[in-house]
Amino acid sequence: MTRNRRFIIGAAIIVVAVSYLVYVGIRETSVYYFTIDEFLAQGTALANEDVRVAGRVGADSVDWNPATLDLQFRLASFEEDGGVPVSYNGILPDMFAEGRDVIVEGTYAGGTLQAHTLLTSCPSKYEAEVPGT
Amino acid sequence: MIDLGTLALRLGLATAIYALVAAVLGGGRRRADLVASSRHAAYVVHGLVAVASLVLWRALLARDFSLEYVASYSSSTLSLPYTIAAFWGGQSGSLLFWALILTTMSSVVHLQNRERNAALMPYVTATLMALAIFFLAMLVFVTDPFTRLPVPAREGADLNPLLQNYWMMIHPPSLYLGFVGCSVPFAFAIAALASGRLGDVWIRTTRRWTLFAWAFLTLGNILGGRWAYEELGWGGYWAWDPVENAAIMPWFTCTAFLHSVMIQEKKNMLKMWNMVLILLTFCLTIFGTFLTRSGVVSSVHSFTQSGLGPFFVGFLLAVIVVSIALIVLRRPLLRSENDIDSFLSREGAFLFNNLLLVGLAFATFWGTVFPVISEAVRGVKITVGPPFFNKVNAPLGLALLLMTGIGPVIAWRRASARNLRRSFTWPLALGFATGVAIFAAGWRHYYAVVCFSLAAFVLATIFMEFYRGTRARQSLMGEAPGAALANLIGRNRRRYGGYVIHLGVVMMAVGIAASSSFRVEKQETLAAGEAIEVGPYTLTHRGVRSTDSPHVAALVADVDVTRGGRAVTTLHPEKRFYKRQQQPTTEVALRSTLRDDLYVVLGNYDAQSGLVTFLVFVSPLVAWLWIGGLVMGVGTIIVMSPTAAEQRALAAAMAVEERGLEPALR
Repeated sequence: MTRNRRFIIGAAIIVVAVSYLVYVGIRETSVYYFTIDEFLAQGTALANEDVRVAGRVGADSVDWNPATLDLQFRLASFEEDGGVPVSYNGILPDMFAEGRDVIVEGTYAGGTLQAHTLLTSCPSKYEAEVPGT
Repeated sequence: MIDLGTLALRLGLATAIYALVAAVLGGGRRRADLVASSRHAAYVVHGLVAVASLVLWRALLARDFSLEYVASYSSSTLSLPYTIAAFWGGQSGSLLFWALILTTMSSVVHLQNRERNAALMPYVTATLMALAIFFLAMLVFVTDPFTRLPVPAREGADLNPLLQNYWMMIHPPSLYLGFVGCSVPFAFAIAALASGRLGDVWIRTTRRWTLFAWAFLTLGNILGGRWAYEELGWGGYWAWDPVENAAIMPWFTCTAFLHSVMIQEKKNMLKMWNMVLILLTFCLTIFGTFLTRSGVVSSVHSFTQSGLGPFFVGFLLAVIVVSIALIVLRRPLLRSENDIDSFLSREGAFLFNNLLLVGLAFATFWGTVFPVISEAVRGVKITVGPPFFNKVNAPLGLALLLMTGIGPVIAWRRASARNLRRSFTWPLALGFATGVAIFAAGWRHYYAVVCFSLAAFVLATIFMEFYRGTRARQSLMGEAPGAALANLIGRNRRRYGGYVIHLGVVMMAVGIAASSSFRVEKQETLAAGEAIEVGPYTLTHRGVRSTDSPHVAALVADVDVTRGGRAVTTLHPEKRFYKRQQQPTTEVALRSTLRDDLYVVLGNYDAQSGLVTFLVFVSPLVAWLWIGGLVMGVGTIIVMSPTAAEQRALAAAMAVEERGLEPALR
């Protein structure tokens, strides 16, 4: 009995350790994830928060300076209206283009999303668009 | 021709349903004729799925663009190997590929066991056919690979350029073999539960299948990492993306299972735990397949909503309910016959190894589904990224590395002070010395220091095992050192093959720790003739040129590389433009050595000014990650190679089970 109990304690220590790591990990690394519509509805409540926002690159909104790698665009809703200005500095992801779906990670400050990461969704591996004839 | 494929799938579904019913009736009523009939039906299902697969492959090779699938995933300029690979490049094709592997394995299992395991086999057949029914039903009713376009397309949309990569040809098949391979031990586990034969016959019978599945899971994950490394251009190989997590979770639990079954074989313990582990592993393979196809979790790979999700959830729930019901039903037979005596024993070490692996699987699972859960509970989607997984899994992984050194050499039952001294004095000393040396050398990266120390510790235990075993043979048998070593491994393949696998694990751990802790990254915009220094390398940009072919156009930069003033090589990073998909992709230039990898990305080219932005990474020791994978493969082959002793053990276990259980079942 005592033998078993010792093992239950041993196992419990590992379980508690894993749970603790998970708990702390989530507390320290979690980021709000919004679609652009949810983000716009929250508005200024999110000032200076770290956020991750999914949206679409607005038509005619991309201002890209290849010499300085400065990028400005409007992260629009999936219906391509409204949106929030995004600024980013770095290499453009291969699939970045107007009308593409992107995920922006960064801080919302002064009415602009200062992105530190810009992710483009791959055109899906499993479902391709049916080609035109 | 196409109609033949559709017909074969429908007949296959009907035959699989018959095989399931015949197997269950035959097993329940002990009717040998029905059992034989179900076995034959299973062969027929395999044949029909093979026919359907050949029809799809033929349509791809004949570039039959009247087929939606062919038009969506290939084109007339796609090269032959990628045209073959397009078979599993899309949704319905990948499901057909799954069904093909499953039914092929089913045929092999039935051939192997046509004279054996008479009590288990009807339920094995039934389980495998139930799985086949699910996939065939999906192919017939939900996502038919033989759907025709209303008007045949003149040209195909081509395979996604990111998938047009050598590693991507072998990565998915390997992962599928691993995923589907888990179905065989799962089927035997269910059969053992259903028939009440819960000795170790099912475990011994499926040992090689489990190893096979595990080997391909390992390979599939490593190849996936290699693909990401070469193709995605961010200098890393693993990003804890949901799709990657889907592939690694069953690997964690399968690894735990491989270790804990040894305890059952040797000590008749942990029966319940082993059962839970293999059922969990199988559920995680189905969950992983669901995750990558349902769009439930947002992934950078962004799989579109496809309507398959609910079916997979239903299937998964059915599997879980059946598994739990059977376990509850058979609980008395799953009691352990022995207890663990002491923490300081091999049993104890294996148990901790198991808890750590399940902990890794749990943490990964939790991080992956957390956005869904937080949205359901709190109404806000909260995601965790790679930092979460690194924070949680790195300490667990290091603890696991420690167990890799302790588990195989600590004594069974209760380790004596003498055993501990003899096994661990030198390895501990070496581990500490390594840590102190690294620290003294001024490296302050905490995880890396711990990892290297543990690696030295584990290497020392492995080396001592080989050394002592060889010396013992030399003195006892009077063999020469080389012959003694070869015989040592040959006569104890499971044990020493296992050490070889552990050696590979250590190499991988070192590669991962070094490359993630000491990677140097630099981004710089250069005109032709300008140079930058990155780590020990100097890179000089010589200019860009363009190339063109019907399938792909490319912009190529020439970069001269020197190290310590000596010319090393010229690298050619590219920006490719695949014409059909109208999409640029980055082609990384890589120079790999045992010491470090130089990784150059052509990030941006400004046509007006002629300036090129390069992204350069220097990752130390990253090659050891891939070499470690190879070593693990060699070890797995040693472990899997059959021995007479093992056959005898299986026969003995079968005899025990026949004697012991036959009356109880009546």
